[in-house]
Amino acid sequence: MADEKRKSIDPAVLTLVEKAAADEVMLCWDRLDEQSPQCGYGIAGVCCRNCAMGPCQINPFGDAPQKGVCGVDAETIAARNFLRSIAAGAAAHSDHARAVVEAFIRTADGEIPGFEIKDEQKLLSLAMDLGVSIEGKDTAAVAKEVGKTLREQFGRQDGELAFIAKAPIKRQELWRAQGIVPRGIDREIVECMHRTHIGVDQDYKNLMKQASRTALADGWGGSMIATELQDVLFGNPVPIVGSVNLGILEPDQVNIIVHGHEPLLSEMVVAASRDKELLALAKEKGAAGINIGGICCTANEILMRHGIPVAGNFLQQEVAVVSGAVDAMIVDVQCTLQSLTDVAGCYHTALITTNPKARFFGARHLEFDEANPLVAAREIVTIAVENFPNRKRKVVIPTDNKTDMVAGFSHETINYILGGLFRGSYRPLNDNIINGRIRGIAGVVGCNNAKVTHDEHHVTLVKELIANDVLVLQTGCSAVACAKEGLLVPEAATRYAGPGLAEVCEAVGMPPVLHMGSCVDNSRILMAATAVVKEGGLGDDISDLPCAGAAPEWMSEKALSIGHYFVASGIFTVFGVTWPTLGAKHLTEYLFSGIEEELGGKWAFETDPVKTARLMIDHIDQKRHKLGIDKARERVLYDMEKRRELET
Amino acid sequence: MNDEKRDVGQGGSDVLGPTYEAGKPDAPDDWRKKLRSREEMLGYLKTACRYWYSDDWYGSERRKTRA
Ligand code: SF4
Repeated sequence: MADEKRKSIDPAVLTLVEKAAADEVMLCWDRLDEQSPQCGYGIAGVCCRNCAMGPCQINPFGDAPQKGVCGVDAETIAARNFLRSIAAGAAAHSDHARAVVEAFIRTADGEIPGFEIKDEQKLLSLAMDLGVSIEGKDTAAVAKEVGKTLREQFGRQDGELAFIAKAPIKRQELWRAQGIVPRGIDREIVECMHRTHIGVDQDYKNLMKQASRTALADGWGGSMIATELQDVLFGNPVPIVGSVNLGILEPDQVNIIVHGHEPLLSEMVVAASRDKELLALAKEKGAAGINIGGICCTANEILMRHGIPVAGNFLQQEVAVVSGAVDAMIVDVQCTLQSLTDVAGCYHTALITTNPKARFFGARHLEFDEANPLVAAREIVTIAVENFPNRKRKVVIPTDNKTDMVAGFSHETINYILGGLFRGSYRPLNDNIINGRIRGIAGVVGCNNAKVTHDEHHVTLVKELIANDVLVLQTGCSAVACAKEGLLVPEAATRYAGPGLAEVCEAVGMPPVLHMGSCVDNSRILMAATAVVKEGGLGDDISDLPCAGAAPEWMSEKALSIGHYFVASGIFTVFGVTWPTLGAKHLTEYLFSGIEEELGGKWAFETDPVKTARLMIDHIDQKRHKLGIDKARERVLYDMEKRRELET
Repeated sequence: MNDEKRDVGQGGSDVLGPTYEAGKPDAPDDWRKKLRSREEMLGYLKTACRYWYSDDWYGSERRKTRA
């Protein structure tokens, strides 16, 4: 990428990219340059190394070779690769969930000091979901039984995952008819590995059935379990004001960045940062206080529950360290770059790994002891405080780059906001979709990808959608991108939304873009969609709704799993950047079209965010037409001229 | 800019503009704390979250088997 400005639309990032160059620190964009041009077979998804007769590659342009040594074709290779990615993504979310379940059960047993059952209402709802009797039982006893029942979801061998019953009835029937109801979370993931071994499943459609079953085991299984139990442990999110971007770093305070995905330790780090003794130690070391900031999904978790500021999203982890102001970065699992050890080595930052599943060569490892998490958290904060005087290079904090945002829109909170305490309901949302003020709903989620300008696709797509009266639900790094742009505050409705959506947002006092949490919290989007279906008036199934999904800057296997459970739940889903099956014509056609006949949802691939918005809006309009609620309406094209007008 | 907006969905009625108070709240609106007893919580689940927890109200699925 020759033009430095094309690396990001975020001025904070560009400032620090420049500093990194001056400091001779290599960042992910530099490594992408070194890796380019990347392997065409890999990009097209037609490279296989599943056995020692390979690796084999299929020529995507029709010339030889068209078969691997074992005889498989491009369709099978790409389908197997796609399925393995979904298995990895589902495993990541679900293993996170397993850690939460284990901590939850130990909390119910009173074994984890500092953790408690914070949200009894959510616990009661789970007891009802799972058929756990609450009669004559105290909170701890109910929690123990709920925890044990959810732990069994991982190792089940037959039957159906419990949360499948929360989906619209018609959707459940469709899954049963298709034979894709997940039996047990681990079982589906193991079966993916078996089916993709040499000489097993060699029918791309059959492989995609298992992709659907595994992805559903993530969305309606692992991810949903993580979300639900984190809510019980740390509280169901409610609207909370926070601030976002690297301007949240404080020049005169100890800055600690918590980065990763599981909120168990970060909750305790937040508590330790408020400890009087540690604050006194910070003063002794010359710091005015202790400042915590988050990156990636850990950021979203502690933002939603404590209002802790967000330092940035995935592609900001290296530049945060380049600021020279981060005294410690604590990482757990997922999306943490190995290069952090190199970057931290150029500054004074203490890089601390905390999870036995995710150690970095060259980083300090401090295991998070569940039996006493506050001890580990205090130790981490102490390391950061003692590191404060060691800042050795120039500190550059982009102080102007800090934006207000509102987060914490769980599906329960949306229900409350729309209807109040005594009339909690999705009815106002459904009515406003039916009367056309809100054209439809979009879930815009997912990662950053160094192959496209950081944040640009998220922001452009979401602005385009809200300008066309589409209410946007967000999670993960996508939510952080749009928060930095100022789209996650109520005032954004007046400034950016179409008139119908603006009117609804202004009446309710909500932003046109709702932050629903971290990546496992995409399960909240499934629940919100289900509530809309069940409220009535917009069809009988999620696939009837005027809604669509997108991950315009995706990069992780988790994103593929999320995208595929959106599709298998009946949602039209558009991914940007690159598409991993392009070398397999029939498989790609099936995912982009044929699969809709079976699941009611389908995939699309589009690299231009404005065209992505067009695809999503066209789909929403088609659904409105089918529901008989379409009206002639003018589509607002959010062109450059209009954007410039708004900026002034 | 707001009064220039027209509500195309409703055939051109004027948009009211923001009805919420300006400024930032000091604390989150923790509506869940308003439900104190187990009875209140169960009552809320059965009414507000009727989509999943009501015995006799299943929205669009009211004539079907319970989800
Ligand atoms: S499984 Fe088949 S295509 Fe894959 S590496 Fe082995 S021989 Fe080649």
